[in-house]
Amino acid sequence: MTIAISTGCLVCDSALDAADAPEKGEIIECGSCGQEHEVTGVAAGLVTVELAPEVEEDWGE
Amino acid sequence: MNEPVDVLVSVTMLRPEERLLLDALRGRGLTAATGLARDVGAVLNGTAPAPATILVRTLSHRDAAQVARRAEAAGIPALNTAAALDVCNDKGLQALLFGSHDVPHPRSFHAYADDEIAAFGDRLGWPIVVKPLSASWGRGVVRLGSRDTLDAWSGGRESTDAAGKAFPVLVQEYIEKPDHDLRVIVIGTQPVVAIQRHSTDWRTNTHLGASVSRTDITEDIILLCKRVTDLIGPGFYGVDLIEDIRDKQLRVLEVNANPEFARSSREHGVDIAGLLADLIVERIGGIPAGV
Repeated sequence: MTIAISTGCLVCDSALDAADAPEKGEIIECGSCGQEHEVTGVAAGLVTVELAPEVEEDWGE
Repeated sequence: MNEPVDVLVSVTMLRPEERLLLDALRGRGLTAATGLARDVGAVLNGTAPAPATILVRTLSHRDAAQVARRAEAAGIPALNTAAALDVCNDKGLQALLFGSHDVPHPRSFHAYADDEIAAFGDRLGWPIVVKPLSASWGRGVVRLGSRDTLDAWSGGRESTDAAGKAFPVLVQEYIEKPDHDLRVIVIGTQPVVAIQRHSTDWRTNTHLGASVSRTDITEDIILLCKRVTDLIGPGFYGVDLIEDIRDKQLRVLEVNANPEFARSSREHGVDIAGLLADLIVERIGGIPAGV
């Protein structure tokens, strides 16, 4: 099944590339500007993304 | 997430560890999916089917505890449990728990102001270690050699934290150790691998560049890990141990409830994800029907 992403880069609008079998939570980096996006949904061959979360002070092991 | 899954892996983002876990769970015939906060919410609200268990790999300590607490209230077992996460995410609670149960641990105090840090420094003997109660990857952990260096630390803190929101902090005796400490991965109640973390820095977090090498799981390590799991229950933990070069005895430095293992697994070769998947299979009652 061909995987399509619902949007271009949310910063520079360049095309984003998804892995063959993306998982929710996966990070996709824009090849043009480096902005990280997070996969928020995978359904019917369509991947939705949002800007990846920034590191917060209580993140960790 | 419309189809029911055996295991919902709660994540903030997918790291190599969660990728390995998904592969291991699926390789054992379980259905598994990652879930972001809203997916967990859908389960709690009944708009998505409940998994047999939730594996909490959420990066935010606060959010991880929320996920586990609410899942358990909804009748869904969480790994780690909310109670374990509460303890693991708070170095102060750990110090109190270990202290009240005679688990070997560096002497530790809660300080609520700079002058209390100074007083505890005089009492413990300088240098001391000051830690935020909830922090990871070595962030905010400092070694203070004297009242003068405490003044410098206090000045920096005040410039960004005039109200003293950083308090309480944990003040801990500084343990002189060899050039390494130990990270032990515990699955259920069993230590499955022990690694030495080597660093020229006094902090040995791999996030700060420490290198790792596998070492034997000794009787002392087994005993200390048992003392920990007796207190906080079985789970998936990274137990940090430190050897005091004065008496050669191991002490429990802290317990982490969301241990990273992808990088170190390449060094030591133990299939952490597979062993954790085995535990989950066992907990949810064996291989699901049809497999």
